[in-house]
Amino acid sequence: MPSSSRRPRVHTLVEWLRWLVLAAAVAMLVVFLVAQGQRADVRYGQSPATGTIAGGSAGEQTGVTLPSVQQLTAMVAASPVVRLPGSIAMWDTDQVARAIGGADVHILVTPPGLSQQQREEVDSVDNATVRVIGTEVSGDVYKVASGNLADWRATLGRADVTSGLVLLINKVAHGSSVTHAGSTDASGTWRDPTAAELDPVAADLRSTGFHAAKGATLSAKPTKAGAQAFGTGGALYVALPAPPPGAPAPDYGPALGRLFPDTPLVVMYGDWIEYQGPHAADFAELAAASFYARFGDRLSGYAYSQDQVLGAYLATVTDIRYAGLFDRPLPYRPADPLRIALPALPWLFAACVLAFLALSVRSLLRPAKASRSLSRRTGGDDARLAGLTALAVEVSGLTGARTDPALARAIVALRAAREALDERLPRRRVSDLLDEADRELDLVGRRVEFPGYRPAEYLRGRLA
Amino acid sequence: MSSSWPVWLTGCVVLLAAGLATALVPRWRAREQTLEGAWLAAHAAIDSATVSRDAATTPSVEAEQLLARAEAISSGRGGRSAAREAASLARRADELWRAANAE
Repeated sequence: MPSSSRRPRVHTLVEWLRWLVLAAAVAMLVVFLVAQGQRADVRYGQSPATGTIAGGSAGEQTGVTLPSVQQLTAMVAASPVVRLPGSIAMWDTDQVARAIGGADVHILVTPPGLSQQQREEVDSVDNATVRVIGTEVSGDVYKVASGNLADWRATLGRADVTSGLVLLINKVAHGSSVTHAGSTDASGTWRDPTAAELDPVAADLRSTGFHAAKGATLSAKPTKAGAQAFGTGGALYVALPAPPPGAPAPDYGPALGRLFPDTPLVVMYGDWIEYQGPHAADFAELAAASFYARFGDRLSGYAYSQDQVLGAYLATVTDIRYAGLFDRPLPYRPADPLRIALPALPWLFAACVLAFLALSVRSLLRPAKASRSLSRRTGGDDARLAGLTALAVEVSGLTGARTDPALARAIVALRAAREALDERLPRRRVSDLLDEADRELDLVGRRVEFPGYRPAEYLRGRLA
Repeated sequence: MSSSWPVWLTGCVVLLAAGLATALVPRWRAREQTLEGAWLAAHAAIDSATVSRDAATTPSVEAEQLLARAEAISSGRGGRSAAREAASLARRADELWRAANAE
């Protein structure tokens, strides 16, 4: 029979499909629930830059020891300018003396990188009119903040605090209402580098793309951050210590830009970073302004290494680049399959649920299969029932008073067996009833005077 | 994204309901069939006992009582144990009548 041999296979296939659909639905549910845990991402354009360093963790505190507040007060009282060892701030003494005029002004200069407690101690030296921590100038209730790139270049690139000092002294000692200093970073303090200065730098840049002069704290070329900021080509890096103010310093940027046209070039003087190269006109000022507006205050008071300053600058550049302001090509970012699949997921899930429901209902609507283990209608029981019924009919003509009750009981059992078969009741029940009918008919067959009417013999004869 | 929540919730409920139904309905159906089979056997036993009683020449009061009890139980239509008890009572009555009329 082809249908009975094919049906179980189709059935197992359907059952497998049902479990498969259920597993898919559960998997989708899990994916959906996991995706609910997404965090807000505030970076514009998925910029990979990470420019966050916790305060005090980057070695920006130099760990210098200061004299006590009493000693500092005595030192300040004894001298108009107190420079503690390690101080870096410089200024044009003529301009500052002119600003002081006849006023009683005392200046206390400390090295950068004081701890919070040391800063409070310096603040509590009351007779100091002006305090300079690193290149951070403060006095009375005021604190000088650089307002343009030239100021930042002077203070961070050359440790020149002249304009801040003049501004603050005018304010504190003379009550001036001027709140913005004019630029003091005159063009005369920079000059073109000589060939002897330029050649070793250019040679280094040609061979490794990286030049760190003696005294610079940049230890290695920032390859990864550089690639994020400037594309796979990276950039050339020149790190120089802050040139002292006073004498004109060599300005490597334009000279190297002429030697390496169309190549991103980063030149560092101390904490001051200049960019030369493609898009410089659009981009260099914006990058410098956003970087120093954010970090300039921190850089002036602490002693960060050039590695950290450059890393933070490159992170800023990366952010700007990923903002898409300058049509610079973004690196390829593969599409996230989860983001694409997420809107379709509920409907796929619903489809799986419906399929599972349909297959479940289908399996429930097939009662033969549902209680397969309990009552499978087999040919054996049917044949036995038919045979025993035929025997009962045949033997009924031969019975007497002694065998009638047994025959009647056999017929009762046969009728019950027929009903059990029709109702697909458990198989054991059917065979029990057939056994009983068998026993009763055996009783009848033994008492009939003709041989061959006992069920075993009769059924064997019927089959033959 | 939040608008898809009803789909997920309804889907989960439907999945659970369908799973429970496919697990429980066949079991419940099998129990029904077993009960039905037990009563079928009980009725068959009562019927055979009735046949034996009708054929008996010597009455047996004890068998009569047993059969009456079996019939009383079967008229109530109880659970499986009731069906089993009715069947065993009827069988014992049947045996008593058969033993009394064997000779």
